[in-house]
Amino acid sequence: MAEEALEKSGVTLREAGPLDAVGDVLPSYVALPESVEEISALLRACAEADLAAVPVGGGTKLDWGAPPERCDVLIDTCCMNQIIEHAAGDLVVRAQAGVTLEALADRLATQGQELVYDGPFRADATVGGLLAAGTAGPRSFRYGTPRDLLIGITVVLADGTIAKSGGKVVKNVAGYDLGKLFTGSFGTLGVIAEATFRLHPLAAERAWVQTRLTPAQVQDAAVRLAAAQAEPTAVELDWPDPSGPVTLAALVEGAAATRRAQTLLDEVTSSMPGWWGEAGEGESLAEVRCMPDRVGGVLAALEGTGLALRGSPVSGRFFLRGDGAGFVPVVAGLREAGARVSVLASPYLMDRWGEVSALPLMRRVKERFDPGRRMSPGRFVGGI
Amino acid sequence: MDPKLIKDCVHCGFCLPTCPTYVLWGEEMDSPRGRIHLMKQHTDGTPVTPEMAGHFDACLGCMACVTACPSGVKYDRLIEQTRAEVERVHVRDPQERAVRGLVFSLFPYPRRLRLLRPGIGLAERMAPFLERVHPSLGAMAALAPRVTRRQRLPRRVRARGPRRAVVGMLTGCVQGEFFPQVNAATARVLALEGCEVVIPPGQGCCGALSVHSGHEDQARRFARRTIRTFERAGVTTVVVNAAGCGSSMKEYGELLAGQPEWAARARAIRTVDLAEWLAELGPAATRHPLPLTIAYHDACHLAHAQGIRAQPRALLSAIPGLSVREVPDSAICCGSAGTYNIFQPEAARDLGDRKAKSVASTGAEVLVSANPGCTMQIASAMGRAGGSIRVAHTAEVLDASLRGVPL
Amino acid sequence: MTPLAEFITALHGVASGEGEVITDPVRLRTYECDGLTYHRATPGVVVLAESATQIAAIVKLCNRYGVPFVARGSGTGLSGGALPRTDGVLIVTSKMRRVLEIDLPNRRAVVEPGVTNLAITEAVREQGYYYAPDPSSQQICSIGGNVAENSGGAHCLKYGFTVNHVEACEIVTPDGDIVVLDRMDPGYDLLGAFVGSEGTLGVATKVTVRLSRTPEAVTTVLAAFASIEQGGQAVSAIIGAGIVPAAIEMMDALSIEAAEAAVACAYPEGAGAVLIVELDGPAEAVERQFAQLTEICAQAFELRVAADPAERAAIWKGRKSAFAAVGRISPAYIVQDGVVPRTSLPSVLASIDRLSAEYGIKVANVFHAGDGNLHPLVLFDDAEPGAGERAETVSGKILDLCIENGGSITGEHGVGVDKSRYMPRMFSDDDLDTMQLVRCAFDPRNLSNPGKVFPTPRLCGEVPGVRKGVHPLVESGKAEQF
Ligand SMILES: Cc1cc2nc3c(=O)[nH]c(=O)nc-3n(C[C@H](O)[C@H](O)[C@H](O)COP(=O)(O)OP(=O)(O)OC[C@H]3O[C@@H](n4cnc5c(N)ncnc54)[C@H](O)[C@@H]3O)c2cc1C
Ligand code: SF4
Ligand code: SF4
Repeated sequence: MAEEALEKSGVTLREAGPLDAVGDVLPSYVALPESVEEISALLRACAEADLAAVPVGGGTKLDWGAPPERCDVLIDTCCMNQIIEHAAGDLVVRAQAGVTLEALADRLATQGQELVYDGPFRADATVGGLLAAGTAGPRSFRYGTPRDLLIGITVVLADGTIAKSGGKVVKNVAGYDLGKLFTGSFGTLGVIAEATFRLHPLAAERAWVQTRLTPAQVQDAAVRLAAAQAEPTAVELDWPDPSGPVTLAALVEGAAATRRAQTLLDEVTSSMPGWWGEAGEGESLAEVRCMPDRVGGVLAALEGTGLALRGSPVSGRFFLRGDGAGFVPVVAGLREAGARVSVLASPYLMDRWGEVSALPLMRRVKERFDPGRRMSPGRFVGGI
Repeated sequence: MDPKLIKDCVHCGFCLPTCPTYVLWGEEMDSPRGRIHLMKQHTDGTPVTPEMAGHFDACLGCMACVTACPSGVKYDRLIEQTRAEVERVHVRDPQERAVRGLVFSLFPYPRRLRLLRPGIGLAERMAPFLERVHPSLGAMAALAPRVTRRQRLPRRVRARGPRRAVVGMLTGCVQGEFFPQVNAATARVLALEGCEVVIPPGQGCCGALSVHSGHEDQARRFARRTIRTFERAGVTTVVVNAAGCGSSMKEYGELLAGQPEWAARARAIRTVDLAEWLAELGPAATRHPLPLTIAYHDACHLAHAQGIRAQPRALLSAIPGLSVREVPDSAICCGSAGTYNIFQPEAARDLGDRKAKSVASTGAEVLVSANPGCTMQIASAMGRAGGSIRVAHTAEVLDASLRGVPL
Repeated sequence: MTPLAEFITALHGVASGEGEVITDPVRLRTYECDGLTYHRATPGVVVLAESATQIAAIVKLCNRYGVPFVARGSGTGLSGGALPRTDGVLIVTSKMRRVLEIDLPNRRAVVEPGVTNLAITEAVREQGYYYAPDPSSQQICSIGGNVAENSGGAHCLKYGFTVNHVEACEIVTPDGDIVVLDRMDPGYDLLGAFVGSEGTLGVATKVTVRLSRTPEAVTTVLAAFASIEQGGQAVSAIIGAGIVPAAIEMMDALSIEAAEAAVACAYPEGAGAVLIVELDGPAEAVERQFAQLTEICAQAFELRVAADPAERAAIWKGRKSAFAAVGRISPAYIVQDGVVPRTSLPSVLASIDRLSAEYGIKVANVFHAGDGNLHPLVLFDDAEPGAGERAETVSGKILDLCIENGGSITGEHGVGVDKSRYMPRMFSDDDLDTMQLVRCAFDPRNLSNPGKVFPTPRLCGEVPGVRKGVHPLVESGKAEQF
């Protein structure tokens, strides 16, 4: 009956293989829709047969979030790879969810523009995956996270309803902003089918500066950089080994970038540090958020743990990664120190999301959007 | 109330943050926008209720809203018309009526006012009693300042150096009685700057207090008398050092619009504020240094009603050694506003306290304004808070500098 | 007793302070409208709220008696968002205006909802910070209202809107619970959904905003052009050159005339359009951009550069007072807030011109040119029979133009009651129904500012999840659920 319903939807299907596992859950089918309407037909079919579905883009972060309670169909957006419109004069681009960030960047660069994102998987991730995971890169310090750059979205709900909000103008307050709601929702509310972003001109000039500091020096240096009128676009730290020094780096863009950068830190480099914006390798991975004036505390809590930290002390957003069960108590310790920790991937059992004050409201949102619990069930906070 | 004037209000709310009563209470009905709305309700047929009258009474008439309004709403005209209307149609409760009656029989008359002066003693002795009868009366007694010595002014003061102009000078009822030293300083400054100053005796109230309280008939009577006095004195320019008087004299034309002949006579006389006049005239006398830090307070009837903000600052800043500090939230009234601290003692006190805090934050030694009512109000609020500050009128500071004596 | 009367009686138990509950009819009427005066309704009762706990208690009472509530900040909204309900309570935040915390190391301030937008900047200006979103009404509009409307301003071209500068919000939900929505928390971005929801998802009771560092250099340029077309070309050229100014504002001859009458801003005489371009950032970058800008604006017959803050304020004064100033040249007017893609500006402005001629209705244009946010002021004389209707028609057609060009019916003023009827022109039933799912999650009883934003309310059904097990194709989402 399941197969029949799916077949009827007319969407290309294939049997799932071991590489299609979401966490440790293996779906039965992989569906390859080519249009918004096909996603809608597919989800209607899933509804009819009560099949659970998990959308996937580049698959770069499929191991992020809790494994789903169940997963019958993996919805692969790889065939939704059209850049629908690049209105260069308006600094706006509209793209299907499966467009990879690399393809998008190449296209935009021909007009001297970019979608500001320099976080993890900036080549292979897709537009839809970037939004669903809500990842932020270093330059979000000045330009905002993908949520701030998104100006319009088309989504398909669990019952097949196609809905859009926003539009293709940068300024728009008509109706609720579904784009914000879907950004970072880990596929639990529906499938992101298309997105429209505001763009920025590519900076004519760029310079990175860096320095090495002891962990105790980082917070003050970061607070100073954040307030600097030379306006760094990003300030990042890399701390691969928490018994050693911290590398602090800043990026300056635009006119006179090099000269402005020199006023910030001592060592000017023209190229991007190799670790810039990457989450890094490790068995477990968590996103740590804290206020800039708690960065010192976070670093102190990590000293000697053997885990690595990378991220922005000015935005208060880091990736923590490492191997071994020692990860679990460290997460608990960081939460105690006032940080919010979201465990994105880990083989160990622990509270992945910590306390979320608005969880009851979030559950109600989920119940309204996906009453049948078919969209990536259980992947997100509170088992949503 | 002129519905045309009411219609100019587009309900944008830009006037709210400068309205002292809105700043205090955060209520629409006690904001300019709300009061205009109440006026509209009335012109649309709602009778004046005690609540409505209360919100009009609570207006200080500071005209900060006129300055703030981008739409050019003539709130000054509107509130005057409204006050007159309220007096005409609204029956106040007996106690309130008695208090108002007493105040309006005292204030516009110099001789009666004199009775209130401390030193004469009546006020001090009566204060506790008055307080019990009605807080407003207590406030009135508490406000009356001490005066050390009466100074009689000559009828004519000769210009020092070459004569550059002949001007009349208004002595004002409150100014003349309570702050004679300010009038003396004004006359000297004018003379030192080359003006021949004509000071007709027997001047009374210019009518400002009456206009601001809705007593239009009384106001017109005072206006006509004042015009006549200066006509007889043969001057066409009258210099005024009290902000409230200046602003209402500048509006004689409108006040007397119903009597075209008088309106024309009103327009034949040019009223100028002291600072406005001196700035226009340009300096002639030497300024001696006054090593002082002062805070300049914008009196509402100068800054808002007459739009005179830059001139006094420029005059003061030009004194060598003197540094002028800006008072935060300078556009907001200090709460003294004519008879306001008499009728709305609590609101007046709250506003005074706020202003006192702002003034204290400047760290200045002397508080200067063009309205002794304001400086008195602020100084007493600072006193309540356990601080103190010297006060002076702009004229006194200039006088000290021109004569080379310490303030 | 009516539910409202019972509610009012009960209200005295939670709001007992002096002057907190307004029931006097004359006073109530002063709250009958916001900045958009042609929608009016006298509120059933007004509460001047003092705290979040008090608002929570009031909202709980609303639930008990089935009484709708509307939040109001300073009442400057231009879409009738704060239009009261005659059968409901108006919760006014104008007494909740304390700046609770200024935290410069974390570049944040925590404020009560009634604090005005400008008051935040004033509280931190001396320390070299400011709050970036700057609606023209900034001296009076409340931060709660800004959050509800996702307000923008001239400088939002570079810095984004309210939603990009709010870090957290404490809200009273439509059930009467106090909940914190924080950008830092994992989970759905409910903060992002709440900002711009026009008071339909609850009442903001505490707002944490991000503070920005005052830029090292600011250059404000006033460029006068012979025609609006030339001005429009300059705008495109600036963006095309890769410059992102802090602001690009444009005014046409009619709005210049109004501003001139109001504040004597002394803009160059004979200008068909003026552009205000503000560049800010590191001094060197600003200098370079200024050089580019001067070249781009070669067609301008006068280029005025502000030399100091006073001159900058003088340039902005005309622009910031332009709306209200139109009162000086026209007895009545309608402000629209449509948005078009920047590149469509010239053609849309030309079409507006044609509409204006066709209907004999003057339209003054003053707008955020950088992001295509038009503010056509449709002028008419309400004493002239039929003029109001014609103005209404012109203004509706302008919105149609915006939609046809891929834009929006509102860029910053919100939908409110005024534009809810245009929503179906921009969104499908499914779009609107999906948005209303959010509403149902927050406010299943439809008590929080009902009748705003959406043309037809969706009935939420008391038990969410009722669709479980029901054939989904039957309930394809179009049908309203009972
Ligand atoms: C002359 C003028 C110029 C303007 N210029 C601009 C501009 O440049 N940019 C711009 O964006 N807007 C502008 N506006 C519109 C208006 O100022 C903004 O929409 C502002 O945010 C409204 O704030 P307020 O406090 O007056 O809100 P109100 O008008 O009182 O309310 C607006 C909406 O917010 C809701 N609300 C208020 N407080 C809360 C709260 N605490 N919690 C939940 N909901 C709440 C209300 O229910 C209502 O729906 C202008 C208005 C005027 C009159
Ligand atoms: S005159 Fe002063 S007190 Fe009266 S409404 Fe205007 S600003 Fe408020
Ligand atoms: S500023 Fe002027 S137009 Fe605006 S509400 Fe106040 S009085 Fe009315």
